[in-house]
Amino acid sequence: MSFIHLNVASAFSAHYGVSWPKELVRRAAADGADALALTDRDGLYGAVKHLKACRDHGIDPILGVDLAVLGPARPGPSPRAGAEAGRLRTEGRVLVVARGHCAGAGYRALCRLVSAAHAHTVHAPAARAGGASAPGTLAVQGPRPSRHPGVTGADLAAHALPGLPGHATAPVLTVLLGPASDVGLAAARRDYARARAALSRWLELLGPAALRVELTTHLSRPGERLSTAHALRMLRTAESLHVPAILTNAVRYADPDGAATADVLDAARSLTSLEALADLQPNGQGWLKSTAQMEALAREIARDAANPRLAATLLRNTAGLADWARLDPAADTGWGSPKTPEAHVIGITGDPNTELAARCEAGITRLLPHQARDRTLRDRLALELDTIADLGFAPYFLTVAEVSTMITALGVRNAARGSGASSLVNHLLGISHVNPLAHGLVFERFLSRERTTLPDIDIDVESAQRHRVYRKIFERFGPDRTTLMSMQNGYRARGAVRDAGAALGMDTGDIDAIAKQLWRFPASSFRAALAEKPELRPLAQRLAATTDPHTRPGTPRQLDLLVDLTERLDRLPRHISMHPCGVILADKTLLDRTPVQPSGLGLPMSQYDKHDMDPMGLIKLDILGVRMQSAISHALAEVARIHGDGHTVASAGHHPLPADGTLPPYLAPNGTINLDKIPLDDEPTFELIRSTHTLGCFQIESPGQRELIGKLAPRTFNDLIIDISLFRPGPMKSNMVKPYLEHRHGFAPETYPHPDLRPALAETHGVTVFHEQVLRTLHTMTGCGLAKADVYRRLLGNPSAESRVEELFRTRARERGYPPRVIDQVWETLQAFGSFGFCKAHAAAFAVPTYQSAWLKAHHPEAFLAGLWEHDPGMYPKRLLVAEARRLGIPILPLDINRSHAAHRLEHAPAEGPGTGTTTGTAEGRGEGRAEGRAEGRTATGGTGPHLPQRPPTPRLGIRLGLAAVSGLSSTEIRRTIAGQPYGSLPDVRDRSGLTRTSLRHLAALGAFDELQHAATGTPGTGSHQGPTTLPPRPNRADLLKHLAAIPPRNLPAKYRPLPGQLPLPFHDAGIGDLELSTIHSTEPAPTPGEIVRTELDLTAMDTTAHLMDSHAPLLRQLGTTPAARLLDLRNGTEVLVAGIRIATQTPPMRGGRRVVFISLDDGTGCIDCAFFHEAQETAGPLLFGTRMLLIRGTTRRTGPRGISLQALHAWDLQDTASLPLPHPPATHPPRSPSPEGPRT
Amino acid sequence: MGLFTQSVEVDCTPAGQPLRLRWQGREYMLAAEPVRWYERRRWWAEEPRAQRGHGPGLVDQEIWRVQVRLAGKGPLRTFDLSRHAGSGRWRVIRLHEALREGA
Repeated sequence: MSFIHLNVASAFSAHYGVSWPKELVRRAAADGADALALTDRDGLYGAVKHLKACRDHGIDPILGVDLAVLGPARPGPSPRAGAEAGRLRTEGRVLVVARGHCAGAGYRALCRLVSAAHAHTVHAPAARAGGASAPGTLAVQGPRPSRHPGVTGADLAAHALPGLPGHATAPVLTVLLGPASDVGLAAARRDYARARAALSRWLELLGPAALRVELTTHLSRPGERLSTAHALRMLRTAESLHVPAILTNAVRYADPDGAATADVLDAARSLTSLEALADLQPNGQGWLKSTAQMEALAREIARDAANPRLAATLLRNTAGLADWARLDPAADTGWGSPKTPEAHVIGITGDPNTELAARCEAGITRLLPHQARDRTLRDRLALELDTIADLGFAPYFLTVAEVSTMITALGVRNAARGSGASSLVNHLLGISHVNPLAHGLVFERFLSRERTTLPDIDIDVESAQRHRVYRKIFERFGPDRTTLMSMQNGYRARGAVRDAGAALGMDTGDIDAIAKQLWRFPASSFRAALAEKPELRPLAQRLAATTDPHTRPGTPRQLDLLVDLTERLDRLPRHISMHPCGVILADKTLLDRTPVQPSGLGLPMSQYDKHDMDPMGLIKLDILGVRMQSAISHALAEVARIHGDGHTVASAGHHPLPADGTLPPYLAPNGTINLDKIPLDDEPTFELIRSTHTLGCFQIESPGQRELIGKLAPRTFNDLIIDISLFRPGPMKSNMVKPYLEHRHGFAPETYPHPDLRPALAETHGVTVFHEQVLRTLHTMTGCGLAKADVYRRLLGNPSAESRVEELFRTRARERGYPPRVIDQVWETLQAFGSFGFCKAHAAAFAVPTYQSAWLKAHHPEAFLAGLWEHDPGMYPKRLLVAEARRLGIPILPLDINRSHAAHRLEHAPAEGPGTGTTTGTAEGRGEGRAEGRAEGRTATGGTGPHLPQRPPTPRLGIRLGLAAVSGLSSTEIRRTIAGQPYGSLPDVRDRSGLTRTSLRHLAALGAFDELQHAATGTPGTGSHQGPTTLPPRPNRADLLKHLAAIPPRNLPAKYRPLPGQLPLPFHDAGIGDLELSTIHSTEPAPTPGEIVRTELDLTAMDTTAHLMDSHAPLLRQLGTTPAARLLDLRNGTEVLVAGIRIATQTPPMRGGRRVVFISLDDGTGCIDCAFFHEAQETAGPLLFGTRMLLIRGTTRRTGPRGISLQALHAWDLQDTASLPLPHPPATHPPRSPSPEGPRT
Repeated sequence: MGLFTQSVEVDCTPAGQPLRLRWQGREYMLAAEPVRWYERRRWWAEEPRAQRGHGPGLVDQEIWRVQVRLAGKGPLRTFDLSRHAGSGRWRVIRLHEALREGA
């Protein structure tokens, strides 16, 4: 008979277990075991993977959990340190195993017990979830210790012995008291009395049927913890109270090799080095030993107990418990049977199919009234409804529709994404805004009778509203039917190298420097990466030096170990967190099917992740917070607020009015724009897109996309869909881009393998880009039907199944009379396409916000940028979008205690003209940038917009910085400050705003009191550091800061504080104005522009008064660099020097698999995208990923009519002045002064 | 107690339990039931590599404490022997004057 392991922790015991469930099951099955338990720490995180692995290997799964037991705190000093704050303290850990073959009673009790263990915990995202509760290693998170999961004896009894009315209380859980339990800990101390007392308390609590003593020997040194002697002492205790004993091996790794990884995990969990770690495992024997080895251990215990019969008894008891706990996945855990919310919850009474059909009819009336009798539409709707009815998924669609309707009713922007856009039903239910018939989207790509898994419908919502949406869903469906999905966060290279380095006790600075050089490769291939990645060369050289025996002792050896340990940690789970978008909806049995624990939001989250949903029949809705939707929402609100009515909006945004002078259909009289109704053929929008000045636009702002869009030059919405589809790993790798562009631009004639394929491939000029085209191709040539075609498509690229598809394709195509040459050619395309390519429905869904954001940027750039600053949706640092506003000539209005709101808002700025204004910084110094910005789809400089009327000059709109951008300002401070506006004087601010001294100082440093100061001292309200220098020195920000630091903290007692809304002193009344401010004397030198920029970056992460690069202007002049805005004037292939701040680093997938590193620089006049190919990577080495400000030499590459990028040859660290190529090399371009040159028109 | 690491030849029972050892040219017979355990190693300080697949014997080593008499006669002596996980080679790692304490 095989031995069955009942105490097995997998990698899902974070920072504790080493092996994945499938490795453990594989090893157990290979050894002939017919069952295996998984008993992870604190949860069932690996349970579904375990069930699946057991199914795959044909053995019985057993589930349990390893939990801390909480007991009442004892008065006086606790014998063990690290007792929890609060009333409860940890009294060791126990194992709880669920009973099987009992219609799920055991599994249900296990789920509920685990949820109870977490119910009192406070979520700490960085908490070492699995192991922090190990006795003696309680990690403290933040100022208050977050309490760790655990159960009381009463919890255990309540769940183990449910005591159904009318039934004898047969236990559904068994509690195993092992070496880490209170009994085991007392035994380890040779405290027999306490061990016996503890065991008799357990007996009293649970009775003999639900209790076992678990013996484990790791054959550690006699007398130590986990020695045979330790097991023997526990055995004596068990025998004295007649509690049966079983045998386990407290497994943490599948094979002996995992022991070292377990050591590193122990060190990481305890945040200490291996050398300093007090409770390392005594040795490395905690692996999944074979039956023969476990029997030998049983005999060894029996021998030491001098009881020859004991070995058999231990093994028999273990097998007996295992048999009791064997699960039937379907009957016990609900494996594979989907559960949707009950009909009454989604508000239907009749047949769900009838209800769904009725709602679709209503949708036709609402959305497509003119096509109500259209044959195509009717056929498609019938096909979809039949399929949905056959699969029994109508309740699912109605549930999603219910959620979507609810979100819309909250006034939150939402849109379906993904293949859900292929469904007409989704469109008619209002879930998706894309009409699949208009874009040739194929339903079978989304759902068919050939696919039995639930389809995914993903809904994008405004990121800033996502949590509100989640809470509403919990309210709507009830907390017993709703939970969030979780995700496991595994070790990646950087985290792995940090923890491995800490375990080895290496210098943190050194480790940090190494970690920064690791760039997007799995930790498991660290050593291979060392050999080939140029940025790791210094590290590789240090490693090579390790052969030298005279190098510093310890260190070189450590580097080799560091690489090994980093590789060992690869992908191991570190902690669980809320999945960014998954919400699970089910019927009221949900919490019997999944354990839950608090998430960072406070709402419960399942311990199961996305891979567990389908097997467990859990229905997941992806509700993804999309920052772009929030940015759009803010922009639209600002447009409506600042303009006030539809006609003003139309004039400001150059929206053509219908002939009768009414408003266009997308524009409401109150100035609200409905983006879902804007025309999809707006020329200024496409002009903007083609200009490649698409920073901030959804999906098309990355350097690679800007290059592609420059080449592709989209003219229609469908072009955008194609563009988005092409910029994917599949098309990039299988060389679809080049032929497509050549055919599109007419450089090469379109070709089709066969005329029959023309209808499917015409929209992309004969190149296969979309999944939908693969389906149609397969269907056309084999007649297999689109549903089967999607099954075949999914098998492409699968090494074991692709040949079957090929055979079928070739046979059927031959039968249908296609010539061998055509069959070969088409198969080659299909094979190259693999399972890559892109689903057109995904792209169509993406293209909607892409187009909408470009439309906003073309027509309302100020509002759009305010939205971008507010919600920071893109890939770039926010400061680049500030630079973009500066490039577009949009006034950036500084923080002002009287004008700033919480958010960045639009404000009418003084009209443009020399010598004006509150415009901060050096917009004037960038005249050319402004001129160019205006030319983008606008008409201010004339000429470029033939479709637009010339507009009369309107007051310029600027963006006023919001208070929320200042780091450290609390939401309460912001609320009170705004409620108190306006303020007449500095004392007034201090008295009424509730700002702390630190906040006051920060605001002063940022110039928020400049206006008050100027009013008080009678100087004109200009930017602080500008203005005539001939005047006597006047007090500046530095003086104000000094003053603020000197005055004692003081706050008016509450009764003297003005009430909110009480009128402040008259604003600009100099006489009684601001005595405090007017008496400050100027003693400090005014901060330099460079200092001001530094302050701004420190406090708001944005350089708003001037560009960070401005202070480098003299150096750049010396070097002879070319500004980004000038690159387009140069010939293709010109060698130039450019300099700027790194804003993005990308390593997109490339044809041929060779890595190309794209580094984008911002120099204040625009973006420069530099491609580093293999050789340039070699010369740049560690500069590739580690350096912030770069000087790059390269040759220009034209990428399209308006696009240019750089092929890099060499790079320098701009801040490492000594290394720079000074004096400047033979100038390929005359050095230009960055001084104002005026608009080029 | 002396600390050693010296090669030693050990004959074992079929179950892998030491029976006899030859050390410094003399043969010792086991005089009592030996005690076996696995003892942790400070591998991070002792080993140059710890790569995945390094194999057993990195984290711990098998130790046998044997009580022996020279040629079955002579005084009782206590040795701690280690068996290398990979090669199966034996070494003497400790030599006790007398056995002080067991479990």
